[in-house]
Amino acid sequence: MATKTITPAPAVISRGNRKQARHNTLIGWTFILPNFLGFLAFTLIPVLAAFALSFMEWTSFTAPRWVGLENFQRMFQSDTFWVALRNTVAYALGHVPLTMALALVLAMLLNRKLKGIGFFRVAIFFPYITSLVAVAVVWNMLFSPDNGPINQFLNAIGIAETPGWTSSSDWAMPAVIITSVWRDMGYYMVLYLAGLQAIPSELYEAAEVDGASAWQRFWNVTIPSLRPTTFFVVVMLTVSSFKVFDLIVVMTNGGPGRSTTVLSQLIYQEGIGEGKFGYSSAISLVLFLIVLTVTVLQFKIQQRRER
Amino acid sequence: MKRTTLAAIALAVTAGLGLTGCAGAAGPAEPQGQEGKTRLTVSVWNYEGTPEFKALFDGYEAANPDIDIEPVDILADDYSQKVTTMLAGGDTTDVLTMKNVTEYARYANNGQLQEINGVVDSVGKEDLAGLDAFDIGGKYYAAPYRQDFWLLYYNKELLKAAGVENPADLTWDEYSELAKKLTTTADGKTVYGTYHHIWRSVVQAIAAAQNNGDQISGEYSFFEDQYATALELQKSGATLDFSTAKSQKMSYRTMFETGQTAMMPMGTWYIAGVLQAKKDGKTNVDWGLAPLPQKESNGKVSTFGSPTAFAVNKNAANSEEARKFIEWAAGEEGAKAISKIGVVPALQNDAVTETYFQLEGLPSDELSKKAFTPDETALEMPVSDKSAATDKILSQEHDLIMVGERSVSDGITEMGKRVKSEVLGQ
Repeated sequence: MATKTITPAPAVISRGNRKQARHNTLIGWTFILPNFLGFLAFTLIPVLAAFALSFMEWTSFTAPRWVGLENFQRMFQSDTFWVALRNTVAYALGHVPLTMALALVLAMLLNRKLKGIGFFRVAIFFPYITSLVAVAVVWNMLFSPDNGPINQFLNAIGIAETPGWTSSSDWAMPAVIITSVWRDMGYYMVLYLAGLQAIPSELYEAAEVDGASAWQRFWNVTIPSLRPTTFFVVVMLTVSSFKVFDLIVVMTNGGPGRSTTVLSQLIYQEGIGEGKFGYSSAISLVLFLIVLTVTVLQFKIQQRRER
Repeated sequence: MKRTTLAAIALAVTAGLGLTGCAGAAGPAEPQGQEGKTRLTVSVWNYEGTPEFKALFDGYEAANPDIDIEPVDILADDYSQKVTTMLAGGDTTDVLTMKNVTEYARYANNGQLQEINGVVDSVGKEDLAGLDAFDIGGKYYAAPYRQDFWLLYYNKELLKAAGVENPADLTWDEYSELAKKLTTTADGKTVYGTYHHIWRSVVQAIAAAQNNGDQISGEYSFFEDQYATALELQKSGATLDFSTAKSQKMSYRTMFETGQTAMMPMGTWYIAGVLQAKKDGKTNVDWGLAPLPQKESNGKVSTFGSPTAFAVNKNAANSEEARKFIEWAAGEEGAKAISKIGVVPALQNDAVTETYFQLEGLPSDELSKKAFTPDETALEMPVSDKSAATDKILSQEHDLIMVGERSVSDGITEMGKRVKSEVLGQ
């Protein structure tokens, strides 16, 4: 495998190099091939198939039949679709800002050199690595309308009319959001901690010398320096909010009534539950487009900020 | 040279992966059982946790030494989905267990099952409970081997303490009164008069069975009385309220086995559950069975239930052997085999009932026996391609009525409106 050293004839070089480059490319491909094949078979092809299925009617028994935009027509006329979309947006609007704010506050609190600080960081991070089903079940107990600790506490501080939480249409979504914020904040706190520790201390020192108060330092040094982290956090949170499924299935299963039914659950119910693969693919296509639009918008805003 | 070798290895590995992928997807090998026996494959769910299958297979193999039955075990929750996929892929499993009638109707109408009128005739049409559900234009594509229906479980000790020996011929009003009477609180621990589990069937399927109502009609005024009863029980504190039961994912088994409720309407599948719990020493509940309460006491008992059946796959590798097995399983021999573990067989004649009540630990009083022979058993849900979608809507609205967010009449109106627009397309 000796490579040719300088020779005066350019054509020869390029031929040799081209051969070499092709060879290298081939080897590169060969190495990623096993993994790529898996991705192809289990992700890429199914995703493309789902796009195609959106325009077909298909139950497991009959061959797929092209129906054009019929699935989408049905979706936009379906009351349940709009309910699920509204719930998904409501969840995102609650989950994203709350998780972000709490994660940042916690990161600020825990970003100091203290004995035993590690314990607290781990404690906050712990919910994130706990089984989600366990989290949902335990919070369901906490939220229990009659004898749950949360309502008993509210009673104790003088609130007589306690919410029914997961058994009431008005309170089920807040209950789910509270649970998910509690679970996710530890993970995003770690991201913020990394961001905070990357801010050069000279900036703070300089600000202090200029007589900036703690609040001004936070507002004019910390927040701008954390912008890349915040952007990443917002994008990740938004995408995960729109895809929320497991927590809701275990906590409320979309109930009471349809008050916490979200899009991913509707996709599951229509497809896996009732075998309408075309219709549920159409819903997932819409969900994909929504997430794509939101993410592209976020990138655009971020770019404009950076200019 | 080294790189070429590496690349070759990588390629070989990839090719190998691809090949194993294909091998995994290949169909089952030729049906060749052990030592020249014929191998019969049967699709089942949760083989370990559903003892009836083992009872049937062991019994059949003992009677037919030339047959080796191989269960195709599938996760219970994925069962319908998986069987659908198998059939679509031309799978050759011989016998398919029909978990519910709706699925059966789908497969039969799609021409994926073999007609087995001969089997049904030889078992005896008159004695097979729930057979009507499998009649498609005079043809049968499956034979039921088990029939579950709903009755009233009660705790003899608690009823005796309240001076009630025998909860026979109860009307719903009498049942409500009794439940209130049986509710006690001592040392901060409440024992409820009855427990209604959170399933919509507890209200809706009972109402449909006892009023001849159609749950796919989009007209649900026949639910009214049953909802009134259920809500009244809840309001008076005679049953654990729905919100708590739902949010705590209450297990009805725990409620009954730990003596937290005196009565409980539930399906016959739970009989085997109580027997098992007693055998394992988890409970010592002194229990009895009574017929489900009725609208009026005229001695006639209407309840609802659902049969489970065996069918022969259109693409079965051993059609003839499959039929023979079903004839045995749905017939008297099979019925006795599952009776011995507390599962209610579809075949109901005196010999079978006698075998059933010889079961150790089963309440042997007359009322319990009477509870075993309801006059009418309606299907839990009509057979239709609209069942699944309707079921979802009815469940959602049921929750709202039971947690008190919707009045009964508003809830019933909403059910009708949604079923008509989302399912029936009116």
